[in-house]
Amino acid sequence: MTSRSDQGSEGTALGGSPGVPKTGRLTEEGAGEHPPAGQGIDYFRRFGVTEAVVSRTLSAALSRGGDYADVFFQHRLVNDLGLEDGSVNRAFTTVELGVGVRVVKGDQTGYGFTEDLSPEALEACGRTAAAIADGPARSSPVRLHVGARLPARYPLRVPWEEIRPEQKLPLLDGINARLFAADRRVKKVTVRFRDESGAILIADSQGRIVEDLQPMTLLHVSCLAEEEGRREQGGYNVAGRAGFEFYHPDRLERVAREALARTTILFEAGPAPVGEMPVVLAAGSSGILLHEAIGHGMEADFNRKNISIYADKIGKPIARSFVNIVDDATNGGARGAINVDDEGNEAGRTQLVENGVLATYLHDSISARHYGVKPTGNGRRQGYQFAPLPRMRSTYMLPGPHKREEIIASVRRGIYCENFTNGQVNIGAGDFTFYVKNGYLIEDGKLTRPIKDVNIIGNGPRALEEVDMVSDDLQIDEGGWTCGKDGQSVPVSQGLPTVRVRSMTVGGRGG
Amino acid sequence: MSRESLADIAQSAAAVARKKGAREVAAGAHRVRSVDVQWRDGKLEKVSEATTRGLGLELYVDDRYSSVSTSDLRPDALERFIEDSVALTRKLAPDPHRALPAPELYLGRAEVDLDLEDPHYGDLDAARRRETAEALEVAAREVEGATAILSVTTGFGDVMAESCLVHSNGFVGARRLTDFGMVAQVSVKDPDGRRPEDWDAASARHVDALPSPSEVGRAAAERALSRLGAKKGGSGLFAMAVENRSAGRLLSFLMAPLSGAALQQKRSFLDGKLGERVASAQLDVADDPLVPRGLGSRLFDSEGIAARRFKVFEEGVLRNYYVDNYYGRKLGLHPTTRGISNLHWKPGTDGLAALLAAMGEGIFVTGFLGGNSNATTGDFSLGAQGFRVRAGKIAEGLGEMNVSGNHLGLWSRLATVGNDPYPYSISRTPTLVFEGVQFAGT
Repeated sequence: MTSRSDQGSEGTALGGSPGVPKTGRLTEEGAGEHPPAGQGIDYFRRFGVTEAVVSRTLSAALSRGGDYADVFFQHRLVNDLGLEDGSVNRAFTTVELGVGVRVVKGDQTGYGFTEDLSPEALEACGRTAAAIADGPARSSPVRLHVGARLPARYPLRVPWEEIRPEQKLPLLDGINARLFAADRRVKKVTVRFRDESGAILIADSQGRIVEDLQPMTLLHVSCLAEEEGRREQGGYNVAGRAGFEFYHPDRLERVAREALARTTILFEAGPAPVGEMPVVLAAGSSGILLHEAIGHGMEADFNRKNISIYADKIGKPIARSFVNIVDDATNGGARGAINVDDEGNEAGRTQLVENGVLATYLHDSISARHYGVKPTGNGRRQGYQFAPLPRMRSTYMLPGPHKREEIIASVRRGIYCENFTNGQVNIGAGDFTFYVKNGYLIEDGKLTRPIKDVNIIGNGPRALEEVDMVSDDLQIDEGGWTCGKDGQSVPVSQGLPTVRVRSMTVGGRGG
Repeated sequence: MSRESLADIAQSAAAVARKKGAREVAAGAHRVRSVDVQWRDGKLEKVSEATTRGLGLELYVDDRYSSVSTSDLRPDALERFIEDSVALTRKLAPDPHRALPAPELYLGRAEVDLDLEDPHYGDLDAARRRETAEALEVAAREVEGATAILSVTTGFGDVMAESCLVHSNGFVGARRLTDFGMVAQVSVKDPDGRRPEDWDAASARHVDALPSPSEVGRAAAERALSRLGAKKGGSGLFAMAVENRSAGRLLSFLMAPLSGAALQQKRSFLDGKLGERVASAQLDVADDPLVPRGLGSRLFDSEGIAARRFKVFEEGVLRNYYVDNYYGRKLGLHPTTRGISNLHWKPGTDGLAALLAAMGEGIFVTGFLGGNSNATTGDFSLGAQGFRVRAGKIAEGLGEMNVSGNHLGLWSRLATVGNDPYPYSISRTPTLVFEGVQFAGT
């Protein structure tokens, strides 16, 4: 389907409010580089994977004459701890080990994968993928070489495998205790703590080989409160490519405080108004606007297929000159950061909109060849079971010339959106939505009554044209956002300065 | 390893877990072969084929619980994984409500053949898959107005899934099923610069139960072309007809708060409403796991509990929750089942055209876009597209609109249910007509 659906973890409220200090960094972390992985394969050698095995798999993949081929090995260990009804009484662990083999012929893709890493299974997998082509075998590289040095955007002080459960458990208990102590209306708290140790190896028929270790962690807190027979549920979560040091006391304090505040505000909140009006988006997770209104539409697969509303718009002005939008792999420790994409291509910062002009699509290798440009490092996949697609990483708007106070003061009647749960877009028609968990009514230039549970709907290009004020207070949200496309989920980040959209349709119920 | 039987894999993993110290264990092994062919604008776009396998374990160790899974079935790695998992479980807080289901819940398994596996699965070859995908496109491009078509992407996919579940207190269950599906997506060029799209799809447990690709391809193209010129309409209260295939999304927000987890965690606007009227008398829905060839059919659920038919809503009265073993113990309720199997609706008498004619004025919703529903309060707000209905007929196209309300209010205004259950989903929703629904537009 061509609708893309995106949500915060477990579909609950995410995001940063204006008072939250920014934790995503806009500059690349240090100049630190980690050395290339030995003289070839380091991590995957433990599974019996050698350069010779990889080379034979690639030659099976090209046995029917594809243009190029790649293999993607993955090992991922995911640990979840869950607190419910006062104790950490459940754990969930998943181990994924497997390899995907891809053969590309023009725009066409053959794909196979297996969990069996024996040389025979790998070659069989290569022959399966090879069937997309139908010609004489193409020669594959005899020697593989480690590609360019990777940046170190998520160095770990201590790997997750070395953190004992006893170190993690008090963190969940502590948040639970803090929430119950803070407010007598709190009746239920759930906490989910996740750490992931991921390793990938990519080798391709150009002879490149690259490994990357990709950690991830996520802390999700949900809170249910009761007041005079009414119940409201809210929460907060944080995520990043980081180790245990991510959970410093300030962050834990903020998680508990935000989870509570975002729940109890709902008792004061009423329904949102109905119809077209100015919409002010708070700095931070409001970056969901960009993700839906333009990000997906700029993924180059939709454009090479001619089905995006942004097809044929490169080089054209689409927004005011102070609008600059990027998709960035380089924010140190961000959930959407990557050192290298899942095709082995360098991943940097891609300018989608430059001074209001549509600049660059988000490319994977297939679309880059189609358009005759360099890949932008956006070829990503959920795991070894999937072929890569152009996907976002961390998408945000750069600061603009206005001030937050000035933006709010400019609105006579509209809404101010603070926290979000999910969004979706139709790529071709351009209609997109995002669901506002809570915000405020703006009346005569002031934030007045809190509002909740309202969906906003707009049309991508029109909404961008109508972005008429951009503040200088960019925040990259620290929440655990996940982007869905073609049945594949990948972690992403997003951010925004405070922005005014002159008019969008607010799907409230009056008031 | 892949030739080992799934029962052997599950049994031996369960034995290892017991040896390492688990008091009770549930072990499930699965193997799934899937093939997908994607076709676009006259040629193959992508072919994917794989056989995947994995093992999942639920471990009950000294009143403590964990659930783990792995795709690394090498014997040494697996033994180490189970040992580590048992050790991790010991570190957790005890939970007195964790135990395997009582063995009597396994009893009474229906003795029917659900016919979930197509005996002709093996006959399907690459040529047939490719021809079907191609035929979908050809049909799409044959409709009137096809010159506006920008691109057609189609697909054919099939799955053969086998699994075996064993519990250390006596349950053993195995299943094999097949699934076949086809889809066509069509994008068209609107003179205003937009590129509206729509799709049609079908799926079935037996390949011969699929409709012809020409029917699906044509429907996708006609639907996409009908989106040309769609515009935002005015805000207001309207009667709303929801097309059968989109009604499942609306219904899901009424079903999710029925889970034991939602009730026990107080996140359900249907908490405490068992036996009460929560919707108009038109809402009459049963959970029926025993439909032959049904997409959600099963003889036992994911916890081994024997599947049986029960009423969820009876003439608008809430009759049953979806309570699994764990939350049943926590709530002191008898478990029903963990999740929806197939829904069976008491059908109305009319199809879509008659329903729209009876509605007269209103909005016909053919798709929801994003939005959400608050399971605790029942408040919802959803993006929507479709058509204005005037004098009982489909009129101008509508897009970029929103529907909102509270589910208790919405379902109490369910006026009519169609006779046209959507066959390609487990919720089998018919067309639904509601009165007085808040739309937001201009």
